[in-house]
Amino acid sequence: MVEKREFLSVTSIVAMGIGTALYAAFNVFFNIFQLPGTQLVALRPSVAIPMFFGFVFGPIVGFVAGFLGNIISDAISWGGFWWNWDVGNGLLGLIPGLAIFLIKKEATSKSKGLILCSILSIIASIIGMGFAAYTDYIFGYGISTIEEATYALFLPAAITDAVNGAIITPILVAAYSAAVKGRARRA
Amino acid sequence: MSESRFIKYIEGESIIHNLDPRAKIIFVFSILFSLTISLSIILLIPLLIISFLFYLLAKLPFKKTITTWKFILLIIVVLSMLNLLTISILYKHGGNVIFGIFGLAITDEMIRRAIFPVIKLLSLAIVTITLVFTTPPKLYAPALGQMYIPYKLAYIIQLAFRYIPEYIAEMQKTLEAQMARGFKPKGGKNPLAKILSIVPLIVPVTISAALSIYDIADAMELRGFGEKKNHTWYRKLNFNRKDISLIILSILIILFYILSYFYLNFPY
Repeated sequence: MVEKREFLSVTSIVAMGIGTALYAAFNVFFNIFQLPGTQLVALRPSVAIPMFFGFVFGPIVGFVAGFLGNIISDAISWGGFWWNWDVGNGLLGLIPGLAIFLIKKEATSKSKGLILCSILSIIASIIGMGFAAYTDYIFGYGISTIEEATYALFLPAAITDAVNGAIITPILVAAYSAAVKGRARRA
Repeated sequence: MSESRFIKYIEGESIIHNLDPRAKIIFVFSILFSLTISLSIILLIPLLIISFLFYLLAKLPFKKTITTWKFILLIIVVLSMLNLLTISILYKHGGNVIFGIFGLAITDEMIRRAIFPVIKLLSLAIVTITLVFTTPPKLYAPALGQMYIPYKLAYIIQLAFRYIPEYIAEMQKTLEAQMARGFKPKGGKNPLAKILSIVPLIVPVTISAALSIYDIADAMELRGFGEKKNHTWYRKLNFNRKDISLIILSILIILFYILSYFYLNFPY
C-alpha cells in the first residue's frame, strides 16, 4: 500500500499537540529561573523542545509547538499574551525544521546531522529572538530605542536560548533516534 | 512547587463561569487589541478597571488565587517596573525633572515609561487569568471549533490542554526519581554545568512523550479522525442574552479604542 503524504497527517497533528503541551509544561516548570537585569526573559532550557520537534517532525510542527506552547504557558503561568514573542518562539521551532531540506532523513541522527542541528538551533535563536525583540521596538511595547531592544531583550534572550538549544537539542535528537530504533513505526 | 503556581480551572457558579467560552474569548481579544493600540496611560485606566470588574464578577475564592496573585505582583509590578525604570534611566529620555536621587534626575517621562507597560501587562494578566480560572479546559476545543476555526487546529489545542498537567506531574516525578539517585538540580556556578545538569530531567520526559505520539495518532486514526472534512462537537454551545451583551460590549470597546487611536491625544 502506498502511503499518502498528507500536508496535515494525524501524526503531525498529534505531534503539534504533544509538542505544545511539553513546551508549555516545561516553560511553567522552568519559569522559576529568572535572570536579573532583564525583562521577563527566563533562563529556559525548554527552548530545546520546539527545536527538537521541528528537527524531528518538520518545520510546521516545530512552529506550532513553539507558538501555541508559548501562548498557553504565558496564559497559565502569569496571564500574558504577546503575539510577537509567540511568533519568535514559533521561529525557534521552524528554523531547525528546515533541516529536512538540507540533509537526508537517515543522516539526521549521525554526527553530521547533530552538528547541523546545533547550528540551526543557534540560527533559530538569533532569528526568533531578534524578531521578537525588534518588533517590541518597532511597535513600542515599552521599548523605545534600538539599543534598549538589543541589550535588554535581544542579547540576553538570544544568547541563553542559543546556548541551551545548541547543547540540549542534539542530545534529545540522539536519545530519540536511539529510542525509536526497533520500533515498528518510525518518524 | 510548580503545581501551585500554574493556573487551573476553579469551579464556580458566577456570571462569568456561566458565560459561553466563545463570548469570553472574544472579550479577552477585544481587551488585548485595545491594550495593544492605546498609546496613553489615561486610555489604559478604563481597560484596567474593566478587566478588574471582569475578575471580581467571577467571584473566585481568594485562597485559591493567592499564589497566582503573588506571582503576578512580583513579576509584573515589582520586577518589570524596576527593570523598565532602570532601562529608562540608563537610556536618558527627556521630560521635566521631578526629583533627584544620587545625582540622577528622575523625570516624568522616565516614570511614564516604567508605568505604561506595567499597566498593560497587569490588565492583560487579569483578563487572561479570569478566562483560564473560569473556563473548564475541555471546553476550549468545542468553543474554538464552533467559532469557525478548523477542527484540526481546535484538536491541537485540546490535546495540549489534555497533556500539560500530565507532563508537569511527570516532570515532578522524574525530578524526584533522579534526586533519589543522587541528582542535584542546581549544578554549581558554571552555567554550562547547570544546563547539562538539567539533561537527565528533560530527556526521559521528552522521549517518552515523543514516542507516545505514534500510539495516540494510531488510536485517533482507528476512530476515523481526519477522514471527513466536517466535524460536529459533542458539546453544543448556545449564546444567551448575557453572552450577546458581552460580545456587543467587546465590539464597542474595540471601536472606541480604534477611534481614540486616531482622534484622541493625551499628554501621558
